[in-house]
Amino acid sequence: MPHIKPILAALKRHKAGTILIALQIALTLAIVCNALFIIQQRVTRLSRPTGMDESNLVAIQNRWVGVTDAAAAGVLTRADVLALRQMPGVQDAVQVNAFPLRGGGWSTGVRVDVDGKKPIAHTTQYFMDEHALATMGVKLIAGRNFRADEVVTTDPDKIQTSPQAIVSKALADKLYPDGSALGKPIYLGDDRTPSTVIGVVERLQVPWGAAWTDDFAENSVILPVQLTGNFSTYLIRAKPGQQAELVKAAPAMLTKLNRLRVITGDRGVRTFEVVREQAYKSDRGLAILMGVICLILLAITAAGIVGLTSFWVGQRRKQIGVRRALGATKHDILSYFLTENLMIGIAGVVIGALMAVGLNLWMVTQFEMARLSMAYVAAGVIALLLLGQAAVLAPAMRAAKVPPVEATRSV
Amino acid sequence: MFAYYFQLGLRSLRKNPVLTALMVMAIGFGVAASMTTYSVFRATSNNPIPQKSSQLFVPQIDNWGPEDAATTMGEPPPAMSYTDAIGLMRDHKAKRQTILYPVGVSLIPADANLLPISERSYAVYGDAFPMFDVPFLYGGGWTTAEDDAHAAVVVISKAFNDKLFHGANSVGREVNLDGRNYRITGVMDDWNPQPLFFDVVNSSAFPDPVQLFIPFTRAIELKVATNGNNNCNKSPANDGWEGYLQSECVWLGYWAELPTETDAKAYLQYLHAYSAEQQRAGRFHWAPNERLRNVMDWLDNRKVVPPESKISLLVAMGFLVICLVNTVGLLLAKFMRRASEIGVRRALGASRKDIYAQFLIEAAAVGLAGGLLGLLLTGVGVFGVSLVFDPRIARLATLDVSLVLLTFAVAILATVLAAFYPTWRAAQVQPAWQLKSN
Amino acid sequence: MLKMTHLAKVYRTEVVETYALRDFNIDVKEGEFVAVTGPSGSGKTTFLTIAGLLETFSGGQYHLDGIEVSQLNDNARSKIRNEKIGFIFQAFNLIPDLNVFDNVEVPLRYRGMKAAERKQRIMDALERVGLASRAKHYPAELSGGQQQRVAIARALAGSPRLLLADEPTGNLDTQMARGVMELLEEIHREGATIVMVTHDPELAARAQRNVHIIDGQVVDLAEDPRFHHAVHEARTGTPA
Repeated sequence: MPHIKPILAALKRHKAGTILIALQIALTLAIVCNALFIIQQRVTRLSRPTGMDESNLVAIQNRWVGVTDAAAAGVLTRADVLALRQMPGVQDAVQVNAFPLRGGGWSTGVRVDVDGKKPIAHTTQYFMDEHALATMGVKLIAGRNFRADEVVTTDPDKIQTSPQAIVSKALADKLYPDGSALGKPIYLGDDRTPSTVIGVVERLQVPWGAAWTDDFAENSVILPVQLTGNFSTYLIRAKPGQQAELVKAAPAMLTKLNRLRVITGDRGVRTFEVVREQAYKSDRGLAILMGVICLILLAITAAGIVGLTSFWVGQRRKQIGVRRALGATKHDILSYFLTENLMIGIAGVVIGALMAVGLNLWMVTQFEMARLSMAYVAAGVIALLLLGQAAVLAPAMRAAKVPPVEATRSV
Repeated sequence: MFAYYFQLGLRSLRKNPVLTALMVMAIGFGVAASMTTYSVFRATSNNPIPQKSSQLFVPQIDNWGPEDAATTMGEPPPAMSYTDAIGLMRDHKAKRQTILYPVGVSLIPADANLLPISERSYAVYGDAFPMFDVPFLYGGGWTTAEDDAHAAVVVISKAFNDKLFHGANSVGREVNLDGRNYRITGVMDDWNPQPLFFDVVNSSAFPDPVQLFIPFTRAIELKVATNGNNNCNKSPANDGWEGYLQSECVWLGYWAELPTETDAKAYLQYLHAYSAEQQRAGRFHWAPNERLRNVMDWLDNRKVVPPESKISLLVAMGFLVICLVNTVGLLLAKFMRRASEIGVRRALGASRKDIYAQFLIEAAAVGLAGGLLGLLLTGVGVFGVSLVFDPRIARLATLDVSLVLLTFAVAILATVLAAFYPTWRAAQVQPAWQLKSN
Repeated sequence: MLKMTHLAKVYRTEVVETYALRDFNIDVKEGEFVAVTGPSGSGKTTFLTIAGLLETFSGGQYHLDGIEVSQLNDNARSKIRNEKIGFIFQAFNLIPDLNVFDNVEVPLRYRGMKAAERKQRIMDALERVGLASRAKHYPAELSGGQQQRVAIARALAGSPRLLLADEPTGNLDTQMARGVMELLEEIHREGATIVMVTHDPELAARAQRNVHIIDGQVVDLAEDPRFHHAVHEARTGTPA
């Protein structure tokens, strides 16, 4: 390891170049740390399980045409569900008001105490019948499913408190942290009468995938209610291998059943794979964009280091020749440049780490974002120092190859 | 002299192809990243109705009270209850005004072989058309008399007109909506304000174009429910449609046209007086809390620009800065490598100004090349945006003439800016230096 | 043409002041061919850089073609260098990226000359040094003597009033040196004022007048014993 003092002295004479490389390393570190962090957050979100068995699911959104009476539409909807369950290739089907990652649904506060003013938790409400668990493929871990006679059909404006409710484990644990929620009362919204928890499912995500739902992402209540109205949504579980066929056959069957309906648009008929893709499109996209930007950024920073170090080596050929003539080994020259780069790199990453944290703190105030984990800063610091050493290697090796005779050349 | 320096610049750039390529790539990538994300940002933060954005206002009235407002930092609900919307409409204090909400109506084609069609539709007052500067191909909006009469009239889009009437003037003809006939009063020309400013509450802000408008009064009479959001702070006291209309559920948009600042001030006072009146009447148990925002303030308040677009714009700007720092370094290396040439030129009579000109022009040539590469990459980037953003937003990001020009301008300006320090260093080279034989 | 009176040049560092030139007096008349000689470190190159307005000086006066130059700014000095002075360097100092034609063109460019006139002058100057056929060659493709002739052509192209040469044959072998020297003599015969710095007594002897610098001052040639020695060397052609 060469002495540090003479390197510092030499760097003082190349202030501009030194500052530029350090600054570039600092800025790159600041951006790469934050970008990696954003990627990690997005990837975590988009790989979050819904709790359903997502393969072989198909979702259909239907609108009745010219039916203004909600009850009349409800009858048509019921006919659809029954017809779907009869279809070959269909394992089970259910009419829902919403499903995980659909992007729109109901949510409300929950209390466990009738006089409790503040809700203990926020939850989504799914209105489904006794086919819900089988169709979605969620796992019941305690209690029982709804019975057919518990399901009520109602107008959305006239919903009554359901005596029974199935809750997700996340919500159950939040409401009754000290024991099983089974058999206990919950109060939804401004209800004065309780719903009793008759079952707990392992996991069931809310209809939204966005950041604002992060603090209640798995708080779900399923209520034995079938909503009427001229808008209906069906979730269908295809028999294995029948999904692709069903995507075409199901809407065709429904249209044949009743022509006065609209099943169109990019949300008309979707496999759950498409639902997931659409729900997380911007998360995935941002992660890809950040990844691409990080890679190019690191490449450009490396290129900058190669460029400037090459210039320095070129400028100091004679000096290097003199050193070689005075007995410096190739290894001495190589380690001189590597140490020089390491020192600039350390200065850069120190500033960069501060900038990374500062940038993150600012972004936290501007966007829905979490605090940057120090592990990312540490990883970024190591990555950039290694990058710097790798980038400087080629010009440093060229410097090491300068022959001692260079000392005697005049130009 | 410009041509001479430009030629010298090109020659010098050819001399060090690797260094030149590094610089051109740094600038190209930096510019492309920032331009691509800027194109999305520009599209999402677009003023959809520039000629009138300062005259169109959204009033907000707090009909929920401070307990709910506390969760939104004092903001009244972003939509209106039927009671308040109708109250404001009745008072008619603005030059023009409309209540609006998205309706899920379906069109049943006369041809029995065709399936019903359901597209984005709104229920509005006749004032909406002149208010929003809706362009008409044939006919126009409906009259106040037709509003009052709950008339079965409709305004359809050009696309609908092309589909149903093969582009012919269909004014006066009828279409079947949900089993009822409506008389066409007008056919809109292409009209697709982005963001869809008048309904950012219910739409994704960048939805497909609006295809149908029907009278608000008609929709209410037919009990057509909103196709958008409905928010209630408590369950309606009475059942049924009437109960719903009387409730404090908020689901309606309201727009007022107030041509001058004085009008806007007066209207805000009116909103205050209206709320105070509701308090006196015992409906509100809290002090008046109202807002009045014009189009751009409203879009800002509703956070229409997606955070993805803001974050990536931010990152791309940082990216451009890093690329520039990189370019400063490389240009410095490139220029100082030619210290001897500069010394000779200075000895032969080049003034500092000449050196500045020569090297800045050389940098501009790098910028131009970087701009070309940047343009190419921006093209790729804009294409790739569909991977990154919701396709409804991505399709707004286009590589138009202004973006092309901006790409070049940013590339050249940024490079010349980056070249200032290296050029200054170059101009400091003393003519005497190189006279001595090293 | 070139007149320095009581001129001083001080190099200051934090610790010491070094006089490169002190009370320096010289007067070169129009049309003279003056050789400046002196030992290494005597200040002859400093004299040349100041004469050529490449460096400023610390005290005294310098009149170039009747103009007092000490108060001129960088731009004005650049203009004088461009229009009145031609430089011939020991290391040729051709710009390697430019071909012969473009190298000769450099000073003419800064004068803002029309293309046609530039071309005429460049070809005339190259003709003069016998390199018209090499106009498209790059410096690296030429011998040392040819390179120096290009440098001379570059100095001549602008028709300068004063030609300053710093060891013009220093990097050349004897035969090439002779050719360059003959060219300079020819240029002088045509009326140019030439000041040439050299430590080669043989070259110095071929000038009209010799000025000897020792320790930053012009030494009276007749009174300094070292001069006689130098003259003797020049006559006999034996190196010191």
